[in-house]
Amino acid sequence: MESPNLEKTMIQRKKHPKLQDYRFTLKLLGKNRLAAAGGVIVLVYFAIAVLDYVDPQYLQPYLNYILSGGSQAFYVPLGPGLSNGWAYIFGETEYNMPIFPYILAALKVDLTYTVFIVGSGALIGVVLGTISGYYGGYLDEVVMRITDIFFSVPTLVLALAIIFALQASSLLDIVYALIIIWWPTYARISRGQALSLKSMKYVEASTASGSSGLRNVFVHLMPNVLSPVMVQLSLDLGSVVGVFATLVFIGFMHLPNPYIPELGNIIVIGESEFTAVGAWWAVLFPGIFLFIFVIAVNLLGDGLRDVLDPKLRR
Amino acid sequence: MIVEEENLKKIENYPYLSVEGLVTQFFTSGGIVKALDGVSFNIKKGEVMGLVGESGCGKSVTATSVMDLIPDPPGRIVKGKIIIDGFNIIGDINKLAKIKVKSEKNVIIKRNRKLIKRHNFILSKIRGRTISMIFQEPSLSLNPVMSVGKQIMEPILLHNRIEISNSIIRRETITKEQIRTFYTEALKIKDAMERRKYVNQWTNMFGVAESQDSILELFNSQASSDQIERDLENFLFGEIEGTNLRVIEKVRDYYKTQEELFKLHTTLLMAEENADSELIEKISMEIRNLQRKSNKELFGFKITYKFLRKRIDIPYVKEARRRALELLKLVNIAGAERVIDSYPHELSGGMQQRVMIAMALSSKPKILIADEPTTALDVTTQAQILELIKELKIVTGTSILFITHDLGVVAEMCDKIGIMYAGNLVEEAPVNDIFYNPKHPYTIGLLKSIPRSDVKRGDILESIPGSVPNLITPPSGCRFHPRCSFKMDICETNKPKLVELDDNKNQKVACFLFSREVESSE
Amino acid sequence: MELRYFVLRRVLLLIPTLAGLLILVFALFMSLPHSLLELSLFPGIPHNAALEEAQGAQILGLPYTLNGVYHPGLPLPLQFGKYVVRLFQGNWGYMTVPIYSGSVIGAITTFFPNTAQLVIIASILAIVISIPLGTFIGARPNTISDHVGRIFTFIGYAIPAFVLGTFLLAIFSKGGIIPIFPSANAFSASAIPNPPPSWMLSSGDLFITSPTHIVLVDSLLHGDLGLAWNTLMHTILPVLTLTYGLLAGIMRFIRAGMVDSARQEYVKTARSEGVPERIVIREHIRRNALIPTITVMGLIIASLLGGVVVVEEVFSYPGMGLLTVQAAVQTQVYGVLGTTLVFGLILVLANLIVDVIYALIDPRIRY
Ligand SMILES: Nc1ncnc2c1ncn2[C@@H]1O[C@H](COP(=O)(O)OP(=O)(O)OP(=O)(O)O)[C@@H](O)[C@H]1O
Ligand code: SF4
Ligand SMILES: [Mg+2]
Repeated sequence: MESPNLEKTMIQRKKHPKLQDYRFTLKLLGKNRLAAAGGVIVLVYFAIAVLDYVDPQYLQPYLNYILSGGSQAFYVPLGPGLSNGWAYIFGETEYNMPIFPYILAALKVDLTYTVFIVGSGALIGVVLGTISGYYGGYLDEVVMRITDIFFSVPTLVLALAIIFALQASSLLDIVYALIIIWWPTYARISRGQALSLKSMKYVEASTASGSSGLRNVFVHLMPNVLSPVMVQLSLDLGSVVGVFATLVFIGFMHLPNPYIPELGNIIVIGESEFTAVGAWWAVLFPGIFLFIFVIAVNLLGDGLRDVLDPKLRR
Repeated sequence: MIVEEENLKKIENYPYLSVEGLVTQFFTSGGIVKALDGVSFNIKKGEVMGLVGESGCGKSVTATSVMDLIPDPPGRIVKGKIIIDGFNIIGDINKLAKIKVKSEKNVIIKRNRKLIKRHNFILSKIRGRTISMIFQEPSLSLNPVMSVGKQIMEPILLHNRIEISNSIIRRETITKEQIRTFYTEALKIKDAMERRKYVNQWTNMFGVAESQDSILELFNSQASSDQIERDLENFLFGEIEGTNLRVIEKVRDYYKTQEELFKLHTTLLMAEENADSELIEKISMEIRNLQRKSNKELFGFKITYKFLRKRIDIPYVKEARRRALELLKLVNIAGAERVIDSYPHELSGGMQQRVMIAMALSSKPKILIADEPTTALDVTTQAQILELIKELKIVTGTSILFITHDLGVVAEMCDKIGIMYAGNLVEEAPVNDIFYNPKHPYTIGLLKSIPRSDVKRGDILESIPGSVPNLITPPSGCRFHPRCSFKMDICETNKPKLVELDDNKNQKVACFLFSREVESSE
Repeated sequence: MELRYFVLRRVLLLIPTLAGLLILVFALFMSLPHSLLELSLFPGIPHNAALEEAQGAQILGLPYTLNGVYHPGLPLPLQFGKYVVRLFQGNWGYMTVPIYSGSVIGAITTFFPNTAQLVIIASILAIVISIPLGTFIGARPNTISDHVGRIFTFIGYAIPAFVLGTFLLAIFSKGGIIPIFPSANAFSASAIPNPPPSWMLSSGDLFITSPTHIVLVDSLLHGDLGLAWNTLMHTILPVLTLTYGLLAGIMRFIRAGMVDSARQEYVKTARSEGVPERIVIREHIRRNALIPTITVMGLIIASLLGGVVVVEEVFSYPGMGLLTVQAAVQTQVYGVLGTTLVFGLILVLANLIVDVIYALIDPRIRY
């Protein structure tokens, strides 16, 4: 029934998703108002983080103050308000440290690490998963059993154990632990995708035309594996920020400086202030910043899933 | 005498299903899909109408609209009437939902949830009982997590409660007198087939249909008639299960009230349509009274029924299961006893489709809609299923709307054929007229494009130039005009009306070549 | 295949999964620096015997064991074998943390019931709320109630447990705005009768109740309403925190499943047979909607167990989670490994149950 020509155009279309395709995706995403809002918020967060890299000066005075442990004398922390300048809009926390710059600095740390974790996890997972799905057999079996093992312990508990095994002494150690934990998810997703794509016409066609296995994997499978991975990636940005902050919150590391700017850490510090002198703002505002980011990322991820779903994409 | 004959004729010509000016649209993000654009047709008692057209011309949408099952969102029936047995089932469309078209892509639909709820209640009493449907894809149309038996029993339990209650009560209170009459009546019938039919009827009425074979065996035994009568009595009294008849009566009352409510609601709907305020008042009163009465009398029962439903339903489920088994045998499923407890994924496509048919027939509907019932099946199974539907039509006298794009099948199955193009019925005529005397340019093109035995080998099949139009921006006037070789100026601006030909009242065509009548569009 | 055989096969599949779990824990164990393993012996008394044994072995030039578990010098597979044997013998090592000092097995038997109490109450609550609510909003997508419900779920899974927990604690516990709930422990020491009744086994300030070991149940069984009430009050805040996250996770999938299966052909079939809307929703749409929910149930349970760790830490609730965190903070090797293993076992068993429920609901996967 199908002409060989049709198949050829299909291969070409799949091989090089046109720019228009991405534009179309963005357009659909823009139509989904919630997803668009999520996307905008995520962008703002990343803009803040990037701004920190571009011009670290604007936070520097506060950071120096924070990292040196704030004022050593004890004053009751200021409440939120505009009377003391923008830095004090959300009030102060322990040692009279202004919360707002503290949070801004933390966003940089959290987002950088999160992107690094999710990115590396996805990279390892996608490469391993796609290859094992494509070649199947022994390799596939081994990779899948390894991922099974990772799924047999609750994420957070496993993270604790691995951080413990690494004898974590810095935030980077948490990052390594989370990468170790996060790749299996992506391996599973991309393996499933690779398996179902493998049997499809266009891979068969290109195998028949003599392209080698590995080339096949990277040229044909990879781009198609990416769309579910994208969805998972966007959703994971939220979970990883949460888990990262949670791990710092639990706080069994022996950090050289306890005042490191990180959202979980700020909340821990704020919590003690909250219970001591009722400084609710010291917990509320860092909590809200974390919470809004997770919501935004989830909205974006859900929207992406809908948009990339071929069933819904007419 | 003459008057009576006239009446009879009227009854025979009485359209079971009558569709008038049906307009169905889908409000999608890409624009409004004008899927149906004023479709009208009638189907009489026992008639089979075929609906033919290219893929995407709106056959399935017509069928789903007739069932009022258009998925909402995105779709809605925007205009028209669907009259089943004298009752317009889609009700007052404008009241159910107000559609405000701001632009193609921005449509605001305000639904009246309360009215829709009532509407759904009424429809649930009509669907499956008066009208039912066989769907295009058997593998997708059965619930994957419910056993086949349960799925067939569901409509039986919904629609036949009163009947089943009555037969249980009759069985439990059977008298010697009744048995004697039955026996003597049966003896009078000499023809074996006729007698079997009679016994079947009687046993069904008395809720002992399971034992009809044993009863027939008794009749055929060599014993004296007195002896047989005594055996029969013993046998039938032995069938009494000691069911709690008070409960059965309550169940019957409950469903009778439901039935009455349904009737009142339909009358109310019709009164509303005619804006007969006096009648509306009266019926609303009656509905309220009935509800109050049933609340009072059946209050205790309703609560018990809620909690003990499983137990109370046992005799009903038993009877429903027997009927389901009978239906499965009727549609020629091999190993019906096994199939009834299996799940859809365990059956082949042909078996699934037979199950669908059994479900659709479970309450002996007056109208059956079959949407390409054989497309998903192989040729042999296809032939068997068609044969089956044909037989059923003869046995049950059901009217059928048969949808397909296979003209060969249509020729074999149908009395008359409707040709659809891009959401319009362009020609409607008896089978012979369509095949030997087609009028509409599209029909002619369609007929030319099918392989026929009288076409020489090597001749290229003709196909209609161009392709099916996009229904978001359909062509103006006659929707066929971009592809029509007879196109005139008027075709681009005006829409032809489906009208009878002057020389053949049975053939209707919508084309300006035959009539200048323009479809008015308000 | 019959359900029985499915269950049997699924149970047999536990063996490789458990082996994998043991390998994982063993790998963690082996990756620890040697110095740490020795270091972890010193706090706590019972270790001395093990240490002496080890030192003795070292002097004699034999492969020695530390704490009866660790055997450097042997080939890896043999070490693994010995490790597993020790585990089965009940020798999981010792640990010393603020809330407990003694054998790891003892710690688990003491603290597991408390965690079970939290998890079970939270699960029941979450299921009882999320299924009807998810059905309700899933049956009317894009209406006001749907939007409200979705915002509710979004907040539920976006708010990290430690943030929510901290807030609840700060608001409702002593010193907060509405101080009606206690802030730490599984029950107050003052609620325990003095002397403790026979069904309470006490060691120091720790108690184990019989027969179920779950304090709330046991106190109710023995008619000690005061203790039951006290335990309940201690449980409410942690349970609420856990429930909200869990509820949101389940509800999200039920809603999505409802919307998806409402589009399917078989729903049209049911309606075409005159099945009333209420039953269409309950029997046809929801039953199918539960299937995707159940497939992700394993992940949801995993995150619930992670949540328990956080919640117990926030509320200083003496359970497996707090034990894990304290073991990690106090570098108690055997404590961390033991609790990791237990959490793994719970998850593996939970997944088994989930799979059986899956098979009960979806006949297609019994094959
Ligand atoms: N849910 C829907 N949303 C939007 N458009 C729809 C929907 N369902 C049907 N349509 C449109 O209605 C038109 C008629 O479709 P329909 O399914 O009736 O075709 P058909 O004649 O049954 O074709 P086939 O022979 O392939 O079954 C098509 O153009 C289709 O795009
Ligand atoms: S109305 Fe005009 S365009 Fe349409 S079929 Fe007839 S001749 Fe052709
Ligand atoms: Mg169709």
